[in-house]
Amino acid sequence: MANRRRPCALIGACALTLSLSSEALAAEADDPVAETPQGEDLSELSIEQLAQVTVRSASKREESLGAAPAALYVVTGGEIEDAGVTSLPEALRLAPNLSVQQVDAYQYSISARGFNGIQAGNKVLALIDGRTIYTPLASTVFWNHHWPLLEDVEQIEVISGPGGTLYGPNAVNGVINVTTRDAQDTLGILARGTAGPDEATAAARYGFAIGGEGAARVYVNWHEANELPTGIGSRSDDDYRGWQAGFRTDFVSDLDHFTVQGDLFRTDGETLEGDGARGHYLLARWGRTLSPTSSLQLQAYYDYFRRDVLLVDDEVRTIDAEAQFNTTLGSHDIVAGGGVRTTRDSFSNELNAFVLNPVSRRLWVYNGFVQDHFRLSDQLALIAGVKVERSTFSGWEFLPNLRLAWQPNSENLLWAAVSRAVRTPSRIDRQLEAPPFLGAAVNFRSEKLVAVEAGYRGQPSRTFSLSVNGFVNFYDDLRTTEFTGGIPLIELRNNYKGKTYGIEAWGGAQVAPWWRLQLGVSTLWKDIREVNGADDLAPRNSLGNDPKWQVVGRSDFELSPRLRLNLNARAVGRIEQAPQIGSYVEAGGELSYRVRQGVDLFVAGRNLLHKYHVESNDPEQGQLARRTITAGARARF
Amino acid sequence: MRGGVTYVTALLAVAAAALAGTPAHAQVSETSVKAAFLPRFARYVTWPPNAVPSATAPFVLCVIGSDPFGGSLDQAARSQSVDGRRVVVRRMATAAQSGGCHVAFIGDGSSQAGQVLAAIGRRPVLTVTDARNGGQRGIIHFAVVSGRVRFFIDQAAAQQRGLTVSSRLLALAVGVRQ
Repeated sequence: MANRRRPCALIGACALTLSLSSEALAAEADDPVAETPQGEDLSELSIEQLAQVTVRSASKREESLGAAPAALYVVTGGEIEDAGVTSLPEALRLAPNLSVQQVDAYQYSISARGFNGIQAGNKVLALIDGRTIYTPLASTVFWNHHWPLLEDVEQIEVISGPGGTLYGPNAVNGVINVTTRDAQDTLGILARGTAGPDEATAAARYGFAIGGEGAARVYVNWHEANELPTGIGSRSDDDYRGWQAGFRTDFVSDLDHFTVQGDLFRTDGETLEGDGARGHYLLARWGRTLSPTSSLQLQAYYDYFRRDVLLVDDEVRTIDAEAQFNTTLGSHDIVAGGGVRTTRDSFSNELNAFVLNPVSRRLWVYNGFVQDHFRLSDQLALIAGVKVERSTFSGWEFLPNLRLAWQPNSENLLWAAVSRAVRTPSRIDRQLEAPPFLGAAVNFRSEKLVAVEAGYRGQPSRTFSLSVNGFVNFYDDLRTTEFTGGIPLIELRNNYKGKTYGIEAWGGAQVAPWWRLQLGVSTLWKDIREVNGADDLAPRNSLGNDPKWQVVGRSDFELSPRLRLNLNARAVGRIEQAPQIGSYVEAGGELSYRVRQGVDLFVAGRNLLHKYHVESNDPEQGQLARRTITAGARARF
Repeated sequence: MRGGVTYVTALLAVAAAALAGTPAHAQVSETSVKAAFLPRFARYVTWPPNAVPSATAPFVLCVIGSDPFGGSLDQAARSQSVDGRRVVVRRMATAAQSGGCHVAFIGDGSSQAGQVLAAIGRRPVLTVTDARNGGQRGIIHFAVVSGRVRFFIDQAAAQQRGLTVSSRLLALAVGVRQ
């Protein structure tokens, strides 16, 4: 490291890079396997010079054919950076199998295969580094509580479709699994700042090695946004600012990998004095290789948050411990595990008559699971698994899945699956009261899904990848709000039943060495009705506010070695659930300029086509989404 | 106030973009630099006498599991020699056939990396892993630091296997486990 700035080393690298052919650039932009540039000649460099060559990072894309036979899309850290987004929900727009609706300046509702909405969006499970981030209060996710430093995100794995067997309750319509980089992959200093008329962020990270066995990083991420204009909902004074600071350490030896990570966050809203949220978590994970064919992973975390909005205050403390064991026995890859999670929450509402009774409650979830990946032949595999789970508000739930994968060659995978998943009752489902109108639904059961899916994932040519999935989801026991015929007048019941079906398809093409295109389409039809003579008083509110179709596209241009242009567009169908809103088309992108190695300047924009558009039809909270332009700089040392 | 800062920044970015026509550093792919490192490592490591190939036999560089390098590794291996010996590349799915390997890169598949390392055990093989493939570490562990490919070295593990790592290689490591 002493000779880090040795001129000859730099000259070597310069001479080398000037000789790069266009094939080399083409290969770089593609997957790692394709990175076999013909024009690069590194053979003349000394080992010290090699250590000085600056490289374009190959983000790991785990969407390989060997991965789970499911509707899987992987957003890589590199894609997030190229798209010029600085918040997690905006990064999730990069996944063509998700529907993302901005509700106000800081709230988003995000779903897969329907049931989207700030109230109804309770059927997707989200995790960050193995920590579940949905709240037991309403089974939704408060996305505004989570501001990981996106530059340190390794990838976001998005599964549309059930993942109950491995992931557990709430993984009904999809799983969003955010993984941050190992600390040893984020060494050095990073600083980023962005600012625009309506938004600003500032972030910094410092990563360092600890001896030869470990590494650590610390980071802070600050953000601010002006309020959005009033939309379908009432004015919400949604000016917003906050920060998140955290750390991650990884220690590794021959057979062990030990991770400790945590963060603190705070956000401030402006609706009332003191509004906002704060929280923290601490997680430890230990992985050990037991033998050449088996490994064990143990993980535990503690998580706390408190949220004050208007006169509603709630807080949740979560303790979670889980274990997972992987082993290979002949042609069986077996994963088995179990876990226990307990939450203690309290919910106080001085705003209106709706209260949770009791105000504070401890809930428990226990589970055990086993899944076998059985290689029937070189081309054919059968995956069978089941999770058994018991929660405070449900009896024993069985979450099985059966999958068949046929991989005739290394470029093509065909799969089919049948799975069952449930959404276990939340505190609101079971214990929300507003006497004498609304009574607690002591008999509210889990909402259930049986999903039938099939898909294709492959690489028809070296420069083209394609994924097509179809699904039919059979739901039962979805939530209705009904007259009881007595006192209290109303209660929540389980009387919606029906099916949804649709197709998701996405593909990517390396059109030219300097040009990459991606396109994704998803469609959704819903046929869900009241059963048992029910008459829903909040008609179809629990079924979500979903467009029938969505098309997303992205185009990356490497205009010159210094200049990159990323353009993205989305078209979203109209939402028929009242209050109806029309379809819209929006576009955004980022133009970035590399001043020198490690230093980038960029201009990024979202929703550029209209000054304002209606994106959320939430009758209480929906604000107008706004054209947003920011300029920024990012430096790595 | 924030608006003012914004527009200045935006102007700077646009002005900078206008200058972009001039040639600049293109970038080499991370994978090809790793491929270039692999055969070179052998020159800076000493194997115990019983593990050194005979004068005419080649040094064997193995890729176990999925191969991220493709042709770039063969190209790199062809251009290098170790004490006058050729370097040949062998690819294999599991550690079962790793008997003749001097250097073993453990490919993609984070769950399997630990198992491959365990299967190789204490044999005198210079194991190489990659932070991109998870945290399991061989003797040399690639990591990207500030846009450059670097590595950790586990000298204790090397010594247990009778391998001696030269100070020249140790000097390039971001961290050395003693």
